Amino acid sequence: MANLKEIRGRIGSVKNTRKITSAMSRIAAARLVKAQQAALAARPYGERLEEVVRALVTGASEGEGSALHPLLGHRTGNNRVGLILLTADRGLAGGFNANVNRAGLTFIKREQAEGREVVVITVGKKGRAFLGSAQKIERSHEAPTLANIVERAKEVAAEVMALFEPPAEGQVGLPQCDSVHLAYNYFKSVLTQEPRIVQVLPVKAPEPSASGDQPVPPLFEPDRASLLGHLLPIAIEAQLQQAMFNSIAGEIAARRTAMESATDNATQLIGELTLHYNRERQAAITKELMEIIGGAEALKG
Amino acid sequence: MAHTSIKLDILTPLGPKRRNLEVSGVEIPGLNGELGVLPDHVPFVTPVVPGVVRFREGETSVRIAVGAGFLEIGADGRVAILVERALESDEIDVGAAREALVRVNGELVAQHDSIDAAEHRKLVTQQGWLEAQIRAAS
Repeated sequence: MANLKEIRGRIGSVKNTRKITSAMSRIAAARLVKAQQAALAARPYGERLEEVVRALVTGASEGEGSALHPLLGHRTGNNRVGLILLTADRGLAGGFNANVNRAGLTFIKREQAEGREVVVITVGKKGRAFLGSAQKIERSHEAPTLANIVERAKEVAAEVMALFEPPAEGQVGLPQCDSVHLAYNYFKSVLTQEPRIVQVLPVKAPEPSASGDQPVPPLFEPDRASLLGHLLPIAIEAQLQQAMFNSIAGEIAARRTAMESATDNATQLIGELTLHYNRERQAAITKELMEIIGGAEALKG
Repeated sequence: MAHTSIKLDILTPLGPKRRNLEVSGVEIPGLNGELGVLPDHVPFVTPVVPGVVRFREGETSVRIAVGAGFLEIGADGRVAILVERALESDEIDVGAAREALVRVNGELVAQHDSIDAAEHRKLVTQQGWLEAQIRAAS
């Protein structure tokens, strides 16, 4: 009867696992609504800010750009690029972390093949653990939550700009880079998240608006250059915030999907095991009956 | 075409504070000092520093503490205040803000030359934001 007991034990353990995964999936479903709402609420701010940047930067040609503000200028010669890898703190979210980590690693390999050094800043424990010993990590942060997204974006933005601006007198700065990129999971839909790598610095002039009509250039006060000095850090923060909102919503959505399919798998496994268990039980009963009948027959004879 | 009111949006990364609000005018803490915006303003962009945004909503006067950001007046006369954070006067915990301000001021004095520029900037930003909250609530 050891076999029957074993199967019963397995059914019990799979049932427990199913309880956990279905609870996780329900929690994720509840949190997903909140995360999506937060991402949605942040959108008007991001869009208006982008419009302001567009109004400010349009008209400035490449050469003029760097003269207007150092964060706009194209640079070469440092032979170094920065990469911010935005992942989650926790796993159990399907391919969510693995996908963005792989995209980041491909980027690093490609840059290294072209002879450039890569300076990595990780946000989220999973990215740090993944790159681990293979790659020197300049700075690392924990993943943002909906509550501290603004502060976290600010911290990271400060480091991003430090990668691009020489430190003030007497301070140790970060290694100087020619460009800084950000790898994150774009929240395409609840079912799909797509790893993306975008350039953060130098700030690229956004594409002209789709409508095509040239808006009246607004008045700037103070002049364009000092306005840019105030605006660009905020624009970089906003860009990081948007990526973080995407990443948070994506993580929760990925976890929900992963946990849902884990729950489904567990249900299926329980079904199979129960069938197996019943069959074994039936076989045992039949065997016992046969033995009794056999015994009775023997006594008769 | 003269308008008698402006459409005002106060947007933050954590969601719009006010949207499509009709006001007769609004006062904003700009980089070069306090500035008032009235209907039919020309398209205009200027930085906003931590301070208090004031406007009248019907009969009541509203005060909102804002962090650093931008004022944008579009070609269509829409006024958008884009700030990193904003709190209505009744959302502010004045006691906590005062305590935090005392602490920040203390740190600024005590560590005047022992902290780096990034840390100093962080404290100054915090100081501005706390002062804005206290002024908005009073």
